[in-house]
Amino acid sequence: MSTAAPKRGKALALLISLPLLLAISLLLGPSGIGLPDTSTVSGQAIFSLRIGRFFMGLMVGAALSASGTVFQAILRNPLAEPYVLGVSGGAGLGAALSILVGGGLLGAVGLPVTAFVFAVVTLLVVYGIASQGGGSPSVYSLILSGVIVSAICSSFIMFLVSTADIAGMHTVVWWMLGNLQPGAPEGQLISLLFISLSIVALWLLAPALNVLTLGRDMAHYQGLDAGLVTMSSLLLATLLAATAVSMGGMIGFVGLIVPHVMRTLFGPDHRWLLPASAIGGGAFLVLCDAIARSVMPPVEIPVGVVTALCGGPFFLVILRRKMSHAWIS
Amino acid sequence: MNAPALAFRSVTAGYRNRSVLDGIDFEIAEGEFVSVIGPNGSGKSTMLRTATGLIRPRQGSVELFGRGVPSLKPRERAALIGVVPQKLESPMAFTVGEIVTFGRSASRSLWGIPDPKDSDAAERAMIFTNVLELKDRLFNELSAGEQQRAALAMALAQEPRIIMLDESIAHLDINHSQEVLRILMNINREEKITVLLVSHDLNLAAQVADRMLLMDGGRLVSNGSPGEVMREEQLSRVYGCELRVRRDPYGGHPVVSGTLDAQMRRPKTRMRLHVISGGGVGIELFRRLRIEGYDVTAGVLNRLDSDAEAARALDIPCALEQPFSPVGPEAYEQARLMVGQADGVVVGPVPFGSGNLVNLELAAMALAAGKPVWMASDIAGRDYTPAREAAGTAEKLRSGGAVEWSGIHELALLLQREAGARDA
Repeated sequence: MSTAAPKRGKALALLISLPLLLAISLLLGPSGIGLPDTSTVSGQAIFSLRIGRFFMGLMVGAALSASGTVFQAILRNPLAEPYVLGVSGGAGLGAALSILVGGGLLGAVGLPVTAFVFAVVTLLVVYGIASQGGGSPSVYSLILSGVIVSAICSSFIMFLVSTADIAGMHTVVWWMLGNLQPGAPEGQLISLLFISLSIVALWLLAPALNVLTLGRDMAHYQGLDAGLVTMSSLLLATLLAATAVSMGGMIGFVGLIVPHVMRTLFGPDHRWLLPASAIGGGAFLVLCDAIARSVMPPVEIPVGVVTALCGGPFFLVILRRKMSHAWIS
Repeated sequence: MNAPALAFRSVTAGYRNRSVLDGIDFEIAEGEFVSVIGPNGSGKSTMLRTATGLIRPRQGSVELFGRGVPSLKPRERAALIGVVPQKLESPMAFTVGEIVTFGRSASRSLWGIPDPKDSDAAERAMIFTNVLELKDRLFNELSAGEQQRAALAMALAQEPRIIMLDESIAHLDINHSQEVLRILMNINREEKITVLLVSHDLNLAAQVADRMLLMDGGRLVSNGSPGEVMREEQLSRVYGCELRVRRDPYGGHPVVSGTLDAQMRRPKTRMRLHVISGGGVGIELFRRLRIEGYDVTAGVLNRLDSDAEAARALDIPCALEQPFSPVGPEAYEQARLMVGQADGVVVGPVPFGSGNLVNLELAAMALAAGKPVWMASDIAGRDYTPAREAAGTAEKLRSGGAVEWSGIHELALLLQREAGARDA
């Protein structure tokens, strides 16, 4: 069994990176490089804005990446992530509806809750379509129906955008591109609660997730209530994805690549992998956001663009070298 | 009396739209080694899935050690029953040690903090299955045989009272499947763990099992000792093809084989050959000549001679004499008629004594009648007659035109040449 000592070292390095990233995050921004002058009012505003962005990035990144880790384990498929299963699409549709139609209907809580409800409904629909043949659905039918439902959801979003007024259209499009501008504090608090509780709950399920990677039948033979574990971890992962989407819009790639990278570093044991993915995902998104804000001042690039542009090549390099230690094709 | 390890009571079960098992009824006592056989789609795997609680029976009940399977808590169930799948697949890069420790999932504390009892059980399981030195290797990098041993170790780490194998040795080569079976027989005898082996390999199943269950079309057709279940007409009916059952000469267990031997290559000219053999030299000769497509007769042979047994198994007409007796007039007459109908005579590398010397005279008679004789070389070296009469007859045969051969391949070539000449 792989020893814990090198893993501890890596985990420590990951944790140390967080204050460093906080510093980078505070130093970088479209208004110029350097620590904002907190003696002025505008400086204070920029300072608190940058701190807010740091925590947004941390939360959204952690949620997406932890969610992807869980989907990959349960579906036993390296391509699984919230987007592929249509969960993000459903959450996006819910969020777009909430922004355009029901703005302020349920207060600040409305956005994440609507997104979650839509995401769960999408997951159920996907699951329902996939299990048409009877019994529990195969991974392939799940992913296939996920992709289809995801496409339908994005068509609905496009329809909503095209019929919206200019202001609404701008908000939704900007949100869809992915943006870590902090929203209302109540909403953030709720999201923080959702995310941290879900990650802790999933962490408690980590040993069960390990066994589930051998397949649902094997998990059953090993004395797990495989159906219950599968369903509850799918729901928790959906909650994570929906919250992330409602906070930061459609930010792709984090939920797919960070889990893979972390698996090459920490191995497939979810007791290590899940927290590592959460922290790594947060750190990755904070870094991407810092880059997005500062490469083309005064213009901000959507962070989703940066995650894909930075993440893609990095992903390829890592995988070429170490895939065999993470995932066997 | 103890409750049976596994009991199916009038179980009907299946999937959403179709029922697969139809009124299955049997009991397995604790400590038994039972094999389940049956053609593809006969319900073997469904039976196993029902026994493990993956499928709930629609009617009837399934009991493990006296307790209804559906009412067992997952952890209790895992403490009673361990399953080795057809092929364990771990998409992620877990080590063998980690995989085996998964077998402790049900008994470990909630978050899987290793407990000395757990690591002891895992280590014992790895020692039993001989994978301890593979502990730190990645499961996916092992050979198929090693993977199956690791999967068995995972099931054993559960410390179950019954272990079930679902075609788990089907894709292993003979060395590795023997090794897995050896481990199973050990745990069955030493640890008194009940074993239920679902297998496609009838002969392996019959070799290791105390009892066999034969399934067909979702029903239990036969339930008994290997000898009772492996009956020719029963297997032939269930598998829908002609099968033959013999006793293994060493183990005594029934051995089943197809009848491909009877449907061999046919040359254009059917030649009938009479074979003179004995003491085992004929077995390979008979088989090869039949494969080459010749009609074969044999004799004179003594009853119970291994050649006589082989001839009987291959349906080769044979002139027979009582065991350990010199050839008498009746058998000689029978053999003479056979030689008369044959197109040629093959003399195998058989030792000659005064008891069977007449067989060599049959060959001389055939040669005199103008029939070709193929004679294994060095008859003089195998001549145990007091006056070395066999060597003399052989010399006469050679000068009379008998062809000598050494090695069965050479004989086959000589015979093909003769058959070709006849066609021309």
